[in-house]
Amino acid sequence: MSSVDLLVPELKSGDAIGAHTLLLRDVFVAQGATVRFVAQQPSSMNEDVLLVSAWKKPGDLIVLQHGIGSLLAEAVIKRRLPAVLNYHNITPPEFVEAWDADHIAGLRWGRAQLHQLAPLAPRAVADSQYNANELIDVGFADVRVAPVLWNVRKGNDRQVDHDAPVILFVGRVAANKCHHDLIAALAALTTTHPTARLVVVGSPASESYQRALDAFAKRLGVGGHVDFVGAVDDATLAAHLANAAVFLCLSEHEGFCVPVVEAMAAGVPVIAYDAAVLSETVGDAGILLGDKTPHAVATAVARVLDEPGLEQHLIDRGRQRADDFSLAVSSKAHRAAFDGLVAR
Amino acid sequence: MTQPNATDSQAYINRVRAEIEAEAETRRRRDPELQRQEREIERAWIEVAPPGAAGSQGELLLDRADRLSMIDVDAPLGTKPGIRQLKGSIRKGVYWYLRYVTDQVNALNNVLTRLLRRFDERISSLEDAAAVADVGGLVDPVPEPDGAVADTVASILADHAGRVVVLGCGSGVLVRPLHDAGVAVHGVDVDALAILPGVRSGLDLRAGEPASHLAAARAGEFGAVVAAGFVEDLGPAAAQRVVEQAIAAVGNGTVVIATGDPADRDVIDRELRVGRGLSPATWAYLFGRTGATVDLVETADPRLRTLVVARLA
Repeated sequence: MSSVDLLVPELKSGDAIGAHTLLLRDVFVAQGATVRFVAQQPSSMNEDVLLVSAWKKPGDLIVLQHGIGSLLAEAVIKRRLPAVLNYHNITPPEFVEAWDADHIAGLRWGRAQLHQLAPLAPRAVADSQYNANELIDVGFADVRVAPVLWNVRKGNDRQVDHDAPVILFVGRVAANKCHHDLIAALAALTTTHPTARLVVVGSPASESYQRALDAFAKRLGVGGHVDFVGAVDDATLAAHLANAAVFLCLSEHEGFCVPVVEAMAAGVPVIAYDAAVLSETVGDAGILLGDKTPHAVATAVARVLDEPGLEQHLIDRGRQRADDFSLAVSSKAHRAAFDGLVAR
Repeated sequence: MTQPNATDSQAYINRVRAEIEAEAETRRRRDPELQRQEREIERAWIEVAPPGAAGSQGELLLDRADRLSMIDVDAPLGTKPGIRQLKGSIRKGVYWYLRYVTDQVNALNNVLTRLLRRFDERISSLEDAAAVADVGGLVDPVPEPDGAVADTVASILADHAGRVVVLGCGSGVLVRPLHDAGVAVHGVDVDALAILPGVRSGLDLRAGEPASHLAAARAGEFGAVVAAGFVEDLGPAAAQRVVEQAIAAVGNGTVVIATGDPADRDVIDRELRVGRGLSPATWAYLFGRTGATVDLVETADPRLRTLVVARLA
């Protein structure tokens, strides 16, 4: 029976990498492996975690979750351990450097560690082909793709108020996710749909960016149409999804984008800027835009709001697409991606 | 409207996307107020974002640099009585020193800002002298290739492995025969209105900058690259860049350049067109230098008489 060490910077609730790691444990346990978590700090969830400082004897298989620079990756590099890299992408620092001077060190560190991990890793598993391509470029030899493990919820019944349509985005308030483009698009949209509102779910990753967004909305005269509701629990998120007329994502950089999948599963039509991984995750189940100037985005949103046939097509196709990322499908993909590494 | 079935969902979504981009472009051209509003939105963002985080409107950023370059030594005192007196005493105590330091920093900032302005003015005057942006629209855009060229391109690439991209696809004349032959092919053109008829007829045509699409391609992403339209007016440096990027994008594949010969242009076209363009022979020379096997293939189109076919395998 194999012993598997899952290395994750922190196991905490509401964190996509943390949730993925917990579900990855289930995949390995179902194959008869014993699993332990190794982390930089104690878990805020009720999970036993071995701190990296006390991690002396590695398991038969080491799987490193990598989304930012970490002491775990440093330990693997220093001890030259054959760790399988489970890559969730690292935001390129140039997207946030004007906003988050404190944050970019971890991003740069994480990207530098990729180069050191490449020769050590017998295999890498990426959330998407987009992420896999980055690893191939860095020099990882054996790269497989398996979508992030996530318990995709079907969502509540839709309760959309078409007289006051809600445009929803879910994601950390960070510059690479381009919330300012959402606000700009809303300002353009309100010229034809004056009751439209923008609801943003997600905790602020940058105070300076959040302050600028508030000022921007105010200057454009749409401050009263924009709600930043912060991080919410699952039930509240489900309610926001049920109320949303459109899910709008104008991010410049995403490695997988779980919220888009959740929106599709909840039957919310998706419109997204065609950048980074979005075309891969959305496929033909949403409208991808090559131009995100305010009126181009507003035209797209208005089209979905005003054309019930298109709206229904996106809802139906979105639900089908979300099934491609169901826990059962993603678990199977992970079993295949780790094939041959877990001894029975 | 009729609901599309699952099999043509992609074509339906492609059509919707093209219609949206064409509608946005039409509205923007027809209504100057939309353009003004978009500029206002961009200006508002630049005003609240930190320098370097937003937009490319140099003038606004320079205004901002002007304002930020002045350091005020009079720190605010606040309103709470005790704290106010304490801060006031500290300020008095260090005022002469802070004044001395900030005067130097302000002087330096002022010089740097003035230098930036001079630099900006210099670039603007160079752009004016080059008059690159001012002559658009004086001559007609180059016409699309005719069916004979499309058939020739299709016959060259019919059995080709890998996806084909047609850069500068227009309405899809070069894409159509490849698509009908079952080749995985898409087109890219900067004109969202031009591609709309082709998209509506089921072709995979996308609005976007052809050069950017090529630059963003991964190594070996395509089996073949066909470049038309946008390559007509490129100068030597830009053409060389296209050669290098196309070769990287096709790996062991094929690049086809469909361009008229600048020597065939009439005098007005020659004198008013933005760029001078390269002849097929020069394109062939550029590809030949890289070690590609280059053929010049004749067509029945009187304007695009010769196609450049560079094979990297």
